[in-house]
Amino acid sequence: MSFLSNALGSWWLWGAFAAMLPTAILLLYFLKLKRQPLEVPSTYLWTRTIEDLHVNSIWQRLRQSLLLFLQLLLILLVMFALLRPGWSGRALIGDRFIFLIDASASMAAKDVKPNRLADALKKAGEMIDAMQSGDVGMVISFTNAARVEQTFTSSRTKLKAALADIEQTDRTSDLSEALRAASGLANPGRTGNAEEGDVAVAEALPATLYLFTDGGFDTVPDFSLGNLEPIYTPIGVLDAETSNNVAVVAFNTSRNPERVEQTQAFGRLENYGDADVEVDVELLLNGSVIDAQRTTLPAQGQAGVQFELTDFEQGGLRLVVQHDDDLAVDNSGYAAVNSTRRARILLITPRNDALTMALGTDEAQKLAAVTQLGPEVLPSAGAEAAALTEAQKNYQKAAASARYDLIIYDQCAPLEMPQSNTLFIGRSPPLESWQAGEVLSPPLVIDVDRSHPLMQMVSFDNVTIIEGFSLKPPRGSAVLIDADIGALFAIAPREGFEDAVMGFEIFSVDEKGEVLVNTDWLKRLSFPLFVKNVVEYLGGGRSAQRSTSVQPGAPVTIRTDAPVDKLYITSPSGAVFPPISRERENTFVFGATDVTGLYEVREKPGRGEEVLQRFAVNLFSPRESDLRLRQTIELGAQEVSGEAGWAPARKEMWKWLLLAGLGVLLFEWYVYNRRVYL
Amino acid sequence: MSTSQTTPLLEPALLAQLERLELVSRKIFRGRMKGERRSKRKGQSVEFSDFRSYTPGDDLRFIDWNLYARLDKLFLKLFLEEEDLHFYVLLDASASMDFGDPTKLQYAKQLAAALGFIGLCRADRVRIEQIGPPKQTPGPVLRGRRSMWRMLDYLEQIEPGDNTPLVDGVKNFCLRNSGKGVVVLISDLMEKAGYESALRMLLAQQMDIYVIHLLSPEEIEPDIKGDLKLVDCEDADIAEITVSRPLLNRYKSTLAAFIEHAREFCTRRGMMYLMARTDVPVDRLVMNYLRQRGLVR
Repeated sequence: MSFLSNALGSWWLWGAFAAMLPTAILLLYFLKLKRQPLEVPSTYLWTRTIEDLHVNSIWQRLRQSLLLFLQLLLILLVMFALLRPGWSGRALIGDRFIFLIDASASMAAKDVKPNRLADALKKAGEMIDAMQSGDVGMVISFTNAARVEQTFTSSRTKLKAALADIEQTDRTSDLSEALRAASGLANPGRTGNAEEGDVAVAEALPATLYLFTDGGFDTVPDFSLGNLEPIYTPIGVLDAETSNNVAVVAFNTSRNPERVEQTQAFGRLENYGDADVEVDVELLLNGSVIDAQRTTLPAQGQAGVQFELTDFEQGGLRLVVQHDDDLAVDNSGYAAVNSTRRARILLITPRNDALTMALGTDEAQKLAAVTQLGPEVLPSAGAEAAALTEAQKNYQKAAASARYDLIIYDQCAPLEMPQSNTLFIGRSPPLESWQAGEVLSPPLVIDVDRSHPLMQMVSFDNVTIIEGFSLKPPRGSAVLIDADIGALFAIAPREGFEDAVMGFEIFSVDEKGEVLVNTDWLKRLSFPLFVKNVVEYLGGGRSAQRSTSVQPGAPVTIRTDAPVDKLYITSPSGAVFPPISRERENTFVFGATDVTGLYEVREKPGRGEEVLQRFAVNLFSPRESDLRLRQTIELGAQEVSGEAGWAPARKEMWKWLLLAGLGVLLFEWYVYNRRVYL
Repeated sequence: MSTSQTTPLLEPALLAQLERLELVSRKIFRGRMKGERRSKRKGQSVEFSDFRSYTPGDDLRFIDWNLYARLDKLFLKLFLEEEDLHFYVLLDASASMDFGDPTKLQYAKQLAAALGFIGLCRADRVRIEQIGPPKQTPGPVLRGRRSMWRMLDYLEQIEPGDNTPLVDGVKNFCLRNSGKGVVVLISDLMEKAGYESALRMLLAQQMDIYVIHLLSPEEIEPDIKGDLKLVDCEDADIAEITVSRPLLNRYKSTLAAFIEHAREFCTRRGMMYLMARTDVPVDRLVMNYLRQRGLVR
């Protein structure tokens, strides 16, 4: 690449140009100055006045012809610009850029100083600096979610400010959402009609996609890059076979099934390095060390640790690996142990011994507190509010305030649906969306959907049902039992709750008032299993028993024993978030789980208040913990290998020369107007 | 220029004022005729000057007989003689004087007429001369109020355009007028060769010299702009200038230096220098500035 590249094409043309222009200017200069004659009494004083200006110095002469020299300088600059001097530099590819910055947990790795994210931001900043005027850029940071930090703009200041706003997170990474955000403009959707055929809804704007990441995410299938030109800039140490990192990849607690007072804590550690390491593992309860173990992790291998805790009801457990490695965030695992919350179930039935017995078992009692009421608590149709009995009023209140997690209506149905999950046995809910068929006998069970949690382990072989009716559940429902007459058991969502409706009764009462058994299901083993499923699934008992742990960024659903309106969440660092309000089903959803650690839930703000429960946010992501740099990443069908992202480019100087020429022109204009002789 | 030609050289009101004035010589000069002023020469007048011893041949009329009676010695009384004053006005009528409104020449004529009138009123010997070549007929010698019209006639006929160098004109004047007296040189001193030698020549005549330096406002604050080719009206010399504020400032400082040099040159040599602008009325110049300078009282 030569320093000069003649813009005029041929050199002789430039030579002629270069020879003629200054000559012409010189000629013009001497020809143009036509002074106006003016008769004066005497030039005596004037000659003496300008005598000083004519003293024999070059500069004095220069001053007289300042304009000429400025003009010559201007034309020299222009001619030099026409020569197009330049040097070899580097430039970005394209004119529309999307900078995708990975801000996931693995980007906090310190294998490059100070860390990968800072390195990525630095490289992206260099690229933004190298943007030409007219180029537009967009900044997207992504973790498991994508965030458009700055939409397309040509302002480098805005882009750099957007870069500065990107913060390290503890989240996992998922490129797909970021890719979708990036491809919105590059690959506009298409629409079609019969006459015009397939047309694009907007003009496609191809863009270069700069990916600043360590590749610590799953491949993105089913994504077509289209007009996006991906350039993967690997952040981290290239060609590293292993990484110096030890991570807690799992940590959990469970009650010892044999000894109830005992809680066991299990941790699984993984060594991503190429050497065996001996690490000390500490278990902390609410911040203080209660146990420690030393374990050896083989190179590229795993090891488990187990701790026994006795007389332990609730609290926050933290498992810490004492190891100095590149990524600190995965050296701790957290587990929240909450006192088990029992589901509250209301059973409204004239009498159902089988159901009462199944709900009365020890296991079921552990999971739920069951209240049984007769159908007389349900207000009858057309009843005046004043005529309601105390029990009816209580029921109404409980149903409206979501006091119960589950209400089972056996051989009866309410006038209004309660604010709870419901199970209707032999009745259809008072909703138009549910349609009940005629009572037919005997329905033959054809199929049972055993993949649904309600029907897990429930076998309907050889179950006889004397009479039943078919159901037409609303849209979005799942049919759990299919019979020859139609759907016999279905479940459908309703504003955050779920209604399960059984098209047959277990016990029925005939016209004479005698209790009849409608099915022999209650004699089977599958019946108590079904009841347990009902308690766990519809009663929410399962979620209450589990100690909640989510990955950073995932929402947490919190249930409380007591009906409260607001909950205050304290982050691991001690900061209190704004209170979250109750949603349907007496649940609270908390989304600001950006940092790993133990979060405390309180009814009132303040550290001294009683902690209702805790939940843990853990990284637990082998992809994030494995710090090895991916040489290539797969985006849909395309495999992108790491590269610098710069294209060799000729850096031109002519713009600056023309700018200087403009400056000279302005100065000349000023001199001409002011006649300033320096 | 044309307007100034029609105005009379001397306004009647000014004449009345001028009648009360008289020309003053800082030196006492010998005149040719008896005049109204004392001379250094001892002579016949009423003003006593000194005594001296009698020597044979002295006029017996001046012996102080009273003294002889007292001292028995002969002393002669000496009296100051009263003489007339030779007053000259040297008028520069070069082309450069034909500028301004009124023109510098017209102004100079008015000034010369005023001064000459004062001299005529006091029976001084007044002569107004134009600086010119030797062959030129000199101005008439005037005496007495009646000569005023001759003086004015002579002044009226002076035309600008006689570009005799100042030094030649002064030399010519000096050759023709050897006597002592008061000479007033009215000129713009714009001489490329320099005015100094001319003034030195006047000085050598032991005359009482007044230099009235006439400048028009156009010369003091030139109102010009643009790229100009200045043409000297006397010798067609050309100066190319591009008018700018710095240049004008520079011109003004040059002019100031020029005036200052002339003043200093005159003051050092006992000449009285007065810079006069043509926009100052003649009567004010005569009644105020020239009185202050001591030319008239």
